[in-house]
Amino acid sequence: MKTWPDTFQHLSKPRPRVDGPDKVTGRAEYAYDVLPQDWLYAMILRAPVAAGTVSGIDLDAARRVPGVRAAVLSRSLPVQVRFYGEELAAVAAETPQACHDALRAMRLEVNEASFVVQELEAVLPDAPRVFEEYENISKAQESRQGNPEAAMEDAATTVEGYYATSVNLHQPMETHGNTIRFNGEELLAWSSTQGVFGVRDGLAGAMEIPLSKARVITRYMGGGFGSKFPAGAEGRLAAELSKASGGRPVKLMLTRFDESLAVGNRPSCFARVKLGTDSSGRIKAYEMTGFGCAGYAGGGSSEGGSGGASFPANHLYPAENARIDQRSVTINAGSGRAFRAPGHPPGVFIQESLMDQMALALDMDPLEFRLKNDDSPIRRKEFQMGAERIGWKENYRKPGSSEGVVKKGLGCAGSFWGVPGGDSNAEVQVNPDGSVVIRCGTQDIGTGTSTLVPLVAAEVLRIDPNLIKGEIGDTRFPYSGGSGGSRTAPSVAPAVFDACVNAMEKVAAKSGMEDVRGDQWTEACNKLSYPIVAQGEWKEGSLSSRGAYGAQFVEVEVDTETGFVDLKRIVAVHDCGLIINSLTARSQVNGGIIMGIGGALYEDRIMDPVSGVVLNPNFETYKLPGIADIPDIDVVLLNFPERGVIGMGEPVHIPTSAAIANAVANALGVRIQTLPITPAKVLSALGQTGNDQYQRSLSDLQKALQRVDEVASLSQENLSEFVV
Amino acid sequence: MKSFSYSQAQSFEGAVERFHEASASRYLAGGVDLLGEMKDSLLEPDRLVNLKGIQESDTIEAGDEAWTFGPNVTIARLEKHGKLRERFPAIAEAARHVGSPQIRNMGTLGGNLAQHSRCWYYRHKDIQCLKNGGALCYARQGDSRYHCLFTDNPCISPSVSNLATALMALEGKVHVLTERGEEEWSLEDLYRDAWRNPMAHNSLAPADLIVRVVVPDAGRRSHYLQQSDRAEFDWALVSAAASARMEDGKLRDARLVVGCVAPGPHQLDEANAMLEGKALTSDLAAAAAEKLLDKADATPENAYKVPSQKPSRGAA
Repeated sequence: MKTWPDTFQHLSKPRPRVDGPDKVTGRAEYAYDVLPQDWLYAMILRAPVAAGTVSGIDLDAARRVPGVRAAVLSRSLPVQVRFYGEELAAVAAETPQACHDALRAMRLEVNEASFVVQELEAVLPDAPRVFEEYENISKAQESRQGNPEAAMEDAATTVEGYYATSVNLHQPMETHGNTIRFNGEELLAWSSTQGVFGVRDGLAGAMEIPLSKARVITRYMGGGFGSKFPAGAEGRLAAELSKASGGRPVKLMLTRFDESLAVGNRPSCFARVKLGTDSSGRIKAYEMTGFGCAGYAGGGSSEGGSGGASFPANHLYPAENARIDQRSVTINAGSGRAFRAPGHPPGVFIQESLMDQMALALDMDPLEFRLKNDDSPIRRKEFQMGAERIGWKENYRKPGSSEGVVKKGLGCAGSFWGVPGGDSNAEVQVNPDGSVVIRCGTQDIGTGTSTLVPLVAAEVLRIDPNLIKGEIGDTRFPYSGGSGGSRTAPSVAPAVFDACVNAMEKVAAKSGMEDVRGDQWTEACNKLSYPIVAQGEWKEGSLSSRGAYGAQFVEVEVDTETGFVDLKRIVAVHDCGLIINSLTARSQVNGGIIMGIGGALYEDRIMDPVSGVVLNPNFETYKLPGIADIPDIDVVLLNFPERGVIGMGEPVHIPTSAAIANAVANALGVRIQTLPITPAKVLSALGQTGNDQYQRSLSDLQKALQRVDEVASLSQENLSEFVV
Repeated sequence: MKSFSYSQAQSFEGAVERFHEASASRYLAGGVDLLGEMKDSLLEPDRLVNLKGIQESDTIEAGDEAWTFGPNVTIARLEKHGKLRERFPAIAEAARHVGSPQIRNMGTLGGNLAQHSRCWYYRHKDIQCLKNGGALCYARQGDSRYHCLFTDNPCISPSVSNLATALMALEGKVHVLTERGEEEWSLEDLYRDAWRNPMAHNSLAPADLIVRVVVPDAGRRSHYLQQSDRAEFDWALVSAAASARMEDGKLRDARLVVGCVAPGPHQLDEANAMLEGKALTSDLAAAAAEKLLDKADATPENAYKVPSQKPSRGAA
């Protein structure tokens, strides 16, 4: 058995999560819930300024607070602080109150320095520098193909647009953190992570012990979205505190306030884009000058795992003649990290907004314009199916032609995600009673991996999934990579498949039966005198592949008197190769869209230009969509078993904000050029507020991109490296 | 949070006595605002005097001439009381838009009126702003998107009480137990100090206690509207309440009040007077609102608040 069967008993069907009952009853034990004997609370002391030098921290004052068992510095002094909230020290104590008291007891010696927290100011020549040695703007990450200048010159129609997106926070329901027991020799961590092995390696490295002496467990975790790959400063500090308190377990879970400062974000993006088409409406030329801002650093260089300032350009409908000048800009704010399809939602917002601009200039239906320029047959099909579901032909009107105070609009956008699987191993133990245990060192980040493992095994063995116990989330299980890049399903499913096939062969050999699947399984297993064990691994082949497409359509109503955007309906058409579980796949689409709604309409980490703090470090003013903000979501899944398993967590999130922005522009006849689209921006774009903040931000955006042009013509020596 | 003593009051007078037994007491009712301020170390009381045990402090009495509300009536009851919604739809609607169901179940009428500023500078643990005894109103130089259109106060944080906006439109009165005895305050009185003292959230001295709210039942029609970023569980960006008696199709004693744009709910005699004796048309409402918002002193961040109030008044 080399590939997926032609017909399925268990896959591609709606299967409830195996851990659903545990989750809804509270029995599921998250890193937050683990309570080992004698555990201590812990908290982090953070920099109260956005920039400056901390030369003294009174750790002894913390240690004198009753109940405090350990206090450690995050880094040796003096510390150059580059953002408000940077980790300085941590304490562990018997009670949370003792931790609070200890944090307040520690006097700091701080020399404040000037700072810059607004991206559009940071690019200007006289802005305070985040790093003394360099301007805040980086060298270019340039690309050129064809002859863009000539092609733009020759284009029959050209359009140009300025766009920007805000910094978004991951805001997982379970904050970052760990409970760690480390006696100086052996380390055990219960982590809220997307990668148990990455955390193991990070903690073992920081504590200077062999990898074999560190173990990380993640039975359940409450979301990460790209921000929970590494141990992070909070993991390192928990391990140090545990050691300093004589090996007592230390629970260091961040507060919601902490969560907004130092554990990553989706970088903001700023761009001037230009598109040229020939007289038939085929895209011929593309130009982009832009920059992203990942705070003071990228995730890779700031204990964040990964994630930088780049975003895709000239994609989905690429022009053969293109010029891209993309840079990064640093500010005094927490670092970026990978965030669900890094760079893609902003990149697609920019690209798809420009597409609608061009369709308008061409006097062409924007759907028709896309179909004309989309070289992917799968996505063209998805666009056509989505158009039918939303009633595009009957309901689409030209921008701004909706009558009345409340205006209706339709918009669409496409997506692509192309990361393949890999790096996964699984082990199967078959018991003589026919029951099966599968172990894989992956983790379930909420997407349903713990349900996928037994389902895949049940399909291969053709047995009742209730006979199968899947065990994941432990570095004592066979190595599997971090859950990111939508790689988990296409990595884990083939490894489990392979292990089950190998187990089946062993059972066949031992039992002397030819086909042990299905009805034969128990009989064959009964012939075993002891359990058999088989291994499996991900291999290049037809079990998994890469390349998930998607198209989303949005219907909105916008109140032109209040500026309020009311989402009426979203249609999402996506493919992910072979669908493992259509129920959890749908959940992925719903979740991705809801997160996209957040980015489109609400989410914006707001930095204070006066003090340099994050102004909205809570759910009161960092606004996430609530259930009342979610419209009907119509999910259409295309099943391509012949393509093997492809992940879909990211592609389903990519086009939502772009489709919403296009629908709003279609309703109003005027485009909101920056995300999120708030009532204030709508009223401003409709000319009701004069030269307000939004209008100023657009002129600042133009100025910032002019500055990039200037910088491009100067020596690049004083510039920092591009933040990847 | 600092340690504090806890005291259970049986009567309003007893609550005041217990309040004075410690040096930095606070009254506790629903605790929605107070406990948040304590957790953020904005307030560090040494005593909490619980008001919830006070007999008959959570009653709604429907009198012929006026309704009387105890201060411990929860927001949820104001939202769900059928007869109240019939007589004073503005109150029911204002209540419905407060926070989440959990907050409405805990939060009280008195607490909603006496709540402290939600300004993100005031609430930030590492910022000491003017309202907190610092030297600077950060919002004036920083981000004022949720701040006042009207105030002469150096602090530009607005009152965000939905119920205050509705009650002002209905000419409600707040009875306050002060060191001078029980006094009847208008809603203007309740927020007067917040217009002039940057550290004041309202006119209540620390030991003052709201003991009842009285709303005349004068046969007024009323309505309350708010606009937020999100559909539910969000503060109003702007809000508006209106009320009037209708006599032969003409407006009498009309009141037009806007919220979240000033240190207290805001109305203007000239704007109200424009409505007197006229038939309600959208043009008339628009003209009155224009007058009400005429003197708005917007910042680039909150300029949107001016146009976004127009539809509110039209519908009201």
